Parts: sequence; C-alpha cells; structure tokens
Amino acid sequence: MSELRAQVVATAQALFAAAPDWPAIVAAGFPLLLVPESAGGFGGDWGDAFAVLQVAGAEALAQPLAEAMLAAHLIARAGVVAPHGLVTIGSGGGTIRAGKFTGHVAAVPWGRVAAQVVATIETNAAEPVLLLLPAGAVTEGASPAGEPRDRLDYRGVPAVRLGDADHALYGAFLRVGQSAGALGAALGLATAHVNARVQFGKPLAKLQAVQQSLAVLAEEVAAVQMAGAAAAAALDRSGGAYEMMAAKLRTNMAIHRGVALAHQVHGAIGFTQDYPLHRLTRRLMGWRSDFGGDSWAEMLGEQALSERGAGLWADMVRRGDG
Amino acid sequence: MTAVFALPPHVPPPGTAALRSEIRSFIAANLPAGDAVSRANSWSVADAGFSRALGAAGWLGMVWPRAWGGHERPAMDRYVVLEELLAAGAPVGAHWIADRQTGPLLLRYGTDAQRQKYLPGMARGEVYACIGLSEPGAGSDLAAVRSRAEKVPGGWRINGQKLWTSGAHRAHAMLALLRSEAGSERGAGLSQFLIDLDTPGITIRPVINLTGEHDFNELFFDDVMVGDDALVGGQGNGWAQVTAELALERSGPERYLSSHALLVTLIDAARASGSENAALRATIGKLVAELWTLRQMSMATAAKLAGGEDPVVEAAIVKDLGNDFEQRLPLAVQAVLDLDLDGSTELVRVLSHLLQVSPSFSLRGGTREILRGIIARGLGLR
Ligand SMILES: Cc1cc2nc3c(=O)[nH]c(=O)nc-3n(C[C@H](O)[C@H](O)[C@H](O)COP(=O)(O)OP(=O)(O)OC[C@H]3O[C@@H](n4cnc5c(N)ncnc54)[C@H](O)[C@@H]3O)c2cc1C
Repeated sequence: MSELRAQVVATAQALFAAAPDWPAIVAAGFPLLLVPESAGGFGGDWGDAFAVLQVAGAEALAQPLAEAMLAAHLIARAGVVAPHGLVTIGSGGGTIRAGKFTGHVAAVPWGRVAAQVVATIETNAAEPVLLLLPAGAVTEGASPAGEPRDRLDYRGVPAVRLGDADHALYGAFLRVGQSAGALGAALGLATAHVNARVQFGKPLAKLQAVQQSLAVLAEEVAAVQMAGAAAAAALDRSGGAYEMMAAKLRTNMAIHRGVALAHQVHGAIGFTQDYPLHRLTRRLMGWRSDFGGDSWAEMLGEQALSERGAGLWADMVRRGDG
Repeated sequence: MTAVFALPPHVPPPGTAALRSEIRSFIAANLPAGDAVSRANSWSVADAGFSRALGAAGWLGMVWPRAWGGHERPAMDRYVVLEELLAAGAPVGAHWIADRQTGPLLLRYGTDAQRQKYLPGMARGEVYACIGLSEPGAGSDLAAVRSRAEKVPGGWRINGQKLWTSGAHRAHAMLALLRSEAGSERGAGLSQFLIDLDTPGITIRPVINLTGEHDFNELFFDDVMVGDDALVGGQGNGWAQVTAELALERSGPERYLSSHALLVTLIDAARASGSENAALRATIGKLVAELWTLRQMSMATAAKLAGGEDPVVEAAIVKDLGNDFEQRLPLAVQAVLDLDLDGSTELVRVLSHLLQVSPSFSLRGGTREILRGIIARGLGLR
C-alpha cells in the first residue's frame, strides 16, 4: 500500500468509526477522492477508492459516500464545474427537449437531501444519456437497510449532459468495495462471537461444524477482497469494464453465501436490533441489487459466447498481461 | 475487519504477453489431437512424448538452477506456462508431480548427489515421480503413517504399504513419507525417502477407479533395501518437509483449471447449435466471474510463494474455492441444457466424464474438511 493510501485509510478509519455526519465527511475531502487535483479534487486512484470504501463498509457508514464520490468523478470527467452540496446518483427515464428534462429518477440514495443528481436516463434514443439534474420532486422510499432511496420527478428542468452513460458499472465496483469491508467485518464479529459464546460447556469456536462454517465465510471474504482489488488495479491500468462486472457478480455470490453463515453462527442474538451484525448484513443484502445485480452475468456471458470457447481464456488473461 | 487473504493482486510483468504467445505456439505445434474428455482431465493424462517435448523446449524445471538442468526463470513465468498448458487441456500428467513438488523439494532439502541424479532427467521430461503419502490407515490423518524405514548398515530396510498413489505405474521414483524411528508417534520420527521404483521388493498393483480407468495404485514394500542416499533432508524432519510439499501441491492453477475444457466445449456447442438463451448467457457469465476471481486469487498466492513465503492458508482457500467451482461446473451445464447423456457429442462426453470424477476434486490433495480446518486455524479458532 502506498504511503498516501495508508494515510487516507487511517483517516477514514478514525472518522468513519465515529459515525460522522455528512458535513464532517465533506470537510475531510472524501467525496472528492476520485476528482483530479487539477479539478480541485484529491487525485486519488481506484485503488484508493476501493480501500476507503472498504472502511466505510466495515464501519457500516450510513452516508452516501460511494454515490457522491462517483458523481463527483463523473462530473469532473465531463469537464463540468462541480456544483455545491450533495450530488448523488441514480437511473431513470424521460424525455429531453431543448435541454430540458421531463421524467423521473428512481431509487436515488439520499435523493431527499441531494442538491443535484447524476443520472443515467433512458429516452427514446437507442443509447441512454448521462445527465446532471437539479433536485426533483421527492417521493420517499427506503432500502432494506432503512437508508433513503427516493424517487425524484421532473418537469422541464435544465439538464447538463455528462457523456457516456456507464455509471452503473462504476457504481457496481464501488459496492464491491463496501461489500468487501462489510463482509470482512461480519467475519470479525462472527469470530469474536463464537470465541465468547459458550454452549455444551465450551466456546462455540471449538465445535468443528462452527469452525468449518467460518472457514467458508473467510473464503468468501477473501474472494470479494481479491476481486475488488483486482478490478481496481484493472481500472487504474485503464479499461476495467469486464473486471467490474466480474467483481460485482462474484460479490453477489459471496453475500449470498457469507451473510447466511454470519447469521447462522450468531444464533438469535444476531437477529436483534441491538447487536451490530444487521448494520452490515442488511446493507449487504440490499447492495446485491444496486447498480445492476446479477444482470451483469448476461452481458459477460454474451461476451464469452461472441467468440469460440478457447477465446474465453485468451480474453481473460490478455487483460492482465499488459 | 478480518483478513485472512490480504494479498495484493499480482500484476504480470512486461514480457508476459510474449511468453504467453511462445508457449501457445509450442502447444499448437505439439498438442496431440485428442477428445475433449482428455483435455478435461489434463493433469491426469500422461503422455511421455509430450512431456519430453516440453522438456526439450525448456518448459520444465523452469525455475531450477542451470547446474541441475533447469532454466533459472522467474517463478511467475512458470505460472504462466502452467496456466496455458491447463487451459489448453494439454496432457501434462506424466511429469506433473516431479516438476511441481518432487524437484523443488530436492532443491530445498536434497543433497547435490540426489539433485544430480534426478533433476536433469526431470527437467528433460523423462524422469517422473509419484507422491507416497496415503496408506490404508493414514488418509486425512497423515501422521498415522505406519510404513517404516529401519536403519541397517549402509542404508535402510523399508516395509509397508502406500495407497492411492497416482501414476505410480508410470513413475520412476516415489517420494515416500515413512516412519524412520521405531515406536515413534504422530509427526515425530517421520522422514522422507526418494525410492527408485525398480528396486527389488516393490510391488505396484492398480486400483481401478470408478470410471474403469487405471490412475491410482497400491504399492507394497517388502524388505526393500535402499542406500543412505535415499533419505531426503533431515532424519526425523519428514513432517515439516511434507507440510512444505503440500503448499506446493495446493497452490497451483490446476485447482481451478482442471476441467476448463467443459466451459470451452459448452461455448462451442452453444454457438454451433444456436441454443443460446438468456439462462445460458447468465450461467456462463457467472462462471466467468468466478473463474476470473479464482485466477486472481491463485496468482496472488503463487506470487507469495514465489516471494519465499509460505501461503498455507491462502493455498487452502484457493483449493477449496476452486474445487467447489469445478464441482458445480457440470451441474451448471445440466441446469441450462437438456442433453441426452448418450456419449454422442463432445460436450456430452466431457459432461458425463466430469459428472463422475468431480467428487474426487475435494478429496485429492487434501479433503475439503481438512482444508477448512487449516483455514479455521488461520482464523485462530483452533
Ligand atoms: C483421485 C485421487 C488421487 C490421489 N492421489 C494420491 C497420491 O498420488 N498420493 C497420495 O499419497 N494420496 C493420494 N490420494 C489420497 C488422498 O490424499 C486421500 O484420499 C485424502 O487425503 C483423504 O484420505 P482418505 O481417502 O483416507 O479419507 P478419510 O481420511 O478416511 O476421510 C473420509 C472423510 O472424512 C473426513 N474427515 C477425515 N478426518 C476428518 C477430520 N479430522 N475432521 C473432519 N472430517 C474429517 C474427510 O474430509 C473425508 O470427507 C488420492 C486420492 C484421490 C481421490
């Protein structure tokens, strides 16, 4: 880990553990992590973002950091001057006439408090467009973890075009980062719990069935951490679409298997409001659907089927060889 | 946050693409025409001609010193060559054990005389080895080994039995774990011996596996006399040496690439028959995601090993996830395609083969439960 990254991670750890409000996170500069220094940002790379979001995931940070980070990156990438206030991210549909947008954006994280929204919008055209939109008319909703997921409606508002509508891919990658942290933290809680909880006269940790369950959970944590780190490395080399899709898919599998195991070894205590496991697992379960869930599989599969079988391997290794 | 796999992704160095095309040209020129079933069985299929060709081209003993017939290449170059051979389903079974673990173990613990005797032939693809660990009473519980080596003037007298020895009928030597101290218990008093299989007193009998193939064997030692020079490493140091050997055995790309031919054949068959559909695409996409992740984990683990560290827990994780992936692969194919399993097409033959042999993946090289026990120890639970 570079010295800079180690520093950023240490700052994140100290801040996120204290359940900071949004202004504190802004003051520490985290939303601008992926904005180049030339555009007034922090100039971090994808590896830095992955590392910071792992901390956010592990601390169950209840703030739209990943969304704001990505929105700021996409705005800077398009060469547009960053707006003030929280910019979050979403997808929707509608029409654009003379630069004015009429339509909606669905399930926007923290939409109710956003000053602006970066949104991928389906129109009648073949390709969706990426727009920067102002605040809209809010219909409140909630994610499984109880975080704001709001619908925003628009009628003839000014919209700024931002370029390629590929935000879902990057969003998927950022969820991998959060998931790697959260699943790792769930493993940490589970390990501590089975060491402390006594049944049959000994700690649960001494029961082989429990040990084997935690070994599998550890394997899934390892898979997500590796997939995320490798996707970040691919992004930092250039490209990375294939790797982001693969990492999100693998993460979804790991959440499926891992969350169940984390809860299983906890017994009933893990099912309570007081015990902190749900802060990790409810988010994890919801993240599986965010920014393209298993739907990425069809795209990766289609890519594989577009070439002869031997091409699958050649294509996979070519990306890393440089 | 708990991390048991805190490894950075391995970034192949410049020149890797060139190396890859070199080994691919070799494979294209030398791969015997064979059914996909053979390609789906890659590192169990022995082809001495192919092994010798690999050796002649410098693709064996790649990291060993030149003095012993090696080529002094970086360990991760060897990794690239291995993954290309496996992805192509090349018949690497004859030399696999010697190149993977017996040779490296001799380099680490052997004498110069032992190295001179075995390594050049191994690097030429002419001398093959087998793994003499399991016995009737010692499977997962390897420390229960009872076959014994008794010190006699000028050498050792060996008695006992090894079991499940893959390729013993083709190998020239067995690296055997034996009890060298009478009355010793468990891991103490064990030593490793490299025993030429043409030594009088050795009987090798086939154990036919469930598909009817002869792959593993039982091997009997009856008053087999070997010289002092058969002892490898320290007398009584066998347990520690075997642990090092198992890390070599468990960390390679064969733990997730051994049945890659099924995926290749599935894609080719789907394209040829136009049986593409959403479920098939999604299934392949998920398998690709797993394959890609496993490759990243396997490379990172191999890079740690190449750096001189011992990635015991990481290797166990890669092997267990890889085995699980390869065991689900044929089931995933069954889930998306209705096929008559009548042996009439290549896809059906590969699928039928893997449906039968895949249960062994989580047995050979350490069972699923033993691997998970190693991971649990890494978590501090035992
Ligand atoms: C195809 C194939 C090739 C092989 N090639 C070789 C070879 O070349 N050389 C060689 O030496 N060996 C070889 N083996 C043997 C292999 O290493 C053993 O099969 C393996 O170590 C398990 O031993 P076992 O078969 O005696 O099963 P057992 O040890 O009897 O185990 C049976 C079941 O009980 C479980 N079990 C055992 N102990 C525990 C425990 N403490 N906790 C929880 N569960 C437990 C196991 O995980 C397994 O599921 C090969 C095996 C196969 C299938």
